[in-house]
Amino acid sequence: MRRTFALLCGLLLCGVGRAAGEERAAVVITPGAAQTFQAALQTFADRSLAPHPERAKRFREELGRALEFSGVFSVLSQKAFLGPETSSSVEAEALCSDWTQIGADALVQGELSADAELRVEFRVWDTARCTVLERKRYRQPTSADAAIVSKRVADDIVAAFTGVRGVAATELAFVSNRSGNPEVYVMWADGSNQRAATSNRSINNFPAWSPDGGAVVYTSYRVEGRPLLFLSSRGRGRPGRLLAGQDGQRSEYRGVFSPQGDRLAVVLSEPGGAADVYTVQANGRGLARLTRDPSIDIAPAWSPDGRQLAFVSDRSGSPQVYVMDADGANLRRLTFQGSYNSHPAWSPDGRWIAYESRVGGQFDIWLIDPEGVTNLPLVEHPRSDESPSWAPNGRQLAFSSSRRGRFDVYVVDVTGENLRRITQGIGDSTSPAWGPFPR
Amino acid sequence: MAQVALDLDPDDRRRFRRVLAFSAVLHVLLFAALAFVPSLPRVSSPAAIAVNLVAAPARPAASAPAAAAPARPKPPKDAPVVLPKEASLPEPKPKPEAKPKPVEPPAPEVPAEREYSDVLASLRDELGEQEPAPAAAPADAGAAPGAGSSSGVPLSPELAAWLRDAKIHIRRSWVVPPGFRAQALTAIVDVEVGAGGAVGDKRIKRSSGNPWYDEGVLRSIEKASPLPPPPEAMQVEFIMVSDEF
Repeated sequence: MRRTFALLCGLLLCGVGRAAGEERAAVVITPGAAQTFQAALQTFADRSLAPHPERAKRFREELGRALEFSGVFSVLSQKAFLGPETSSSVEAEALCSDWTQIGADALVQGELSADAELRVEFRVWDTARCTVLERKRYRQPTSADAAIVSKRVADDIVAAFTGVRGVAATELAFVSNRSGNPEVYVMWADGSNQRAATSNRSINNFPAWSPDGGAVVYTSYRVEGRPLLFLSSRGRGRPGRLLAGQDGQRSEYRGVFSPQGDRLAVVLSEPGGAADVYTVQANGRGLARLTRDPSIDIAPAWSPDGRQLAFVSDRSGSPQVYVMDADGANLRRLTFQGSYNSHPAWSPDGRWIAYESRVGGQFDIWLIDPEGVTNLPLVEHPRSDESPSWAPNGRQLAFSSSRRGRFDVYVVDVTGENLRRITQGIGDSTSPAWGPFPR
Repeated sequence: MAQVALDLDPDDRRRFRRVLAFSAVLHVLLFAALAFVPSLPRVSSPAAIAVNLVAAPARPAASAPAAAAPARPKPPKDAPVVLPKEASLPEPKPKPEAKPKPVEPPAPEVPAEREYSDVLASLRDELGEQEPAPAAAPADAGAAPGAGSSSGVPLSPELAAWLRDAKIHIRRSWVVPPGFRAQALTAIVDVEVGAGGAVGDKRIKRSSGNPWYDEGVLRSIEKASPLPPPPEAMQVEFIMVSDEF
């Protein structure tokens, strides 16, 4: 009825519109090839008591690298500038035509000082509309890595243009056997500044971040040669064994912090028994068993609201992804396609679960919605792609792949585009775990 | 019609009269209703021609508009490492390394063709608009794909050619990051174009629901100004569609 009435009105009004001269030309426009904004980065004014000619230049280079890592920005060479290469002040007005003429979508200006502490203040302009989109100030101890601030500024600029924060200032934990044993390492999201979190010459695996980014829980065989959960922290939280004081003969295969950080989902098994999924408070108390099937239940992954868990079970005869409430109720099978599906990872927006699926003897990364309606491949390759982990902005995933022979960590957009290898060097790099936004 | 009625038997004749009477009453009511409606929504129905779209491999959530945070942020923390070496999570060292260059760029995907008509049909449904008559293709094939007039009347060859040129011009200046391309976003913009091609007033007639996408659309039109000179100063409607849905 509504449609019929609208149709009648439409038929009549077409005539009225034309008579009144309101006819309007219309055209549908779809995007062209351009996927990256062009950024003009001025060298920030150095307001330090003892200005150093290289300080601001180095900051600009780091900022440029972090912006380009986003996949959303390209950085214009200063040689192309019609306007000044160096900011006179963070307050300086921009002559926008100078920047639009060279194709700049964004102009970034700012100033910094490095005396008692590093202070950075910046503004980002939308040059086409000649408006300031963002202005912010950061400060940190001078002894800390200045790249932290440049990455955070880059992430702010990405947010100003897209509404989604960049992830240059986030970190990934991963496992590398470069030293001869699998150890846990941490690096920036672009793969730079890799440093060891463990060096116990045992087997260490499955790192997972606390939601505040202050700790990583991981599995290690360093004590009694059996798997136990350990915590590595940055001063917040107590390092060492996670479930110290529990039954001494239990094997602890894996731990994952809940999004609220108050508890963990862990995989435990009694001697001679199959692995089951439990939850436990972050202080190691309140252990609660969620699965009681004689099959193997492993690889828990929290939903972003902390109300559900995806996990892997072979109760149907082959490893498949299941979903249950955080108290173990309402258990249901999620994946039915393929004979080996494992390593679920819930997206930050809750709309997708990434997992690895064996196809032709190798694993690919797939995405499935939590209701199991849509199931599609994200990354496919004749060699193995494994262990997906979501970036905190939900726009990218990290995974490990053997596509170049040994395993390396790769990053890909959720669209399946913009694939980049972020680790290189000796040994295999596996089990990436993308950390949260810095606080 | 009277001859037809005469040939009917008495029952059919009565039925026919009832139908005629009902029809007459319906028409009277309809015109009365239309006469007393104070203002009806203006209907604008852009003609649509098939546009190639790319099937989405994945459709992530539309990003929730985050509140702008101009407030001064907390300084990044630099907590000291307090653990024994092998149990401590290392802080970033102040030695930035060069970003590794991408080694394996993604293979270009082959876009799947899909009719665009269903997308515009749903848009019209939401706006309460009618399905327009397809715009006639000019003999010299100079029309812009997806171009038309709000009344569905075929465009003049000059206007069709200008729409094509304007579309190419705006596409060149429109930056659409991958995150937007993976979402089903459409913004409709009313734009005033001067006789010389300069873009005047522009307003979002129908938001995509994502303010950053809408801003990007307005930015691209501003950036594209001046457009090629149109046949005459005019109001034009740009329907900006993120393509991968």
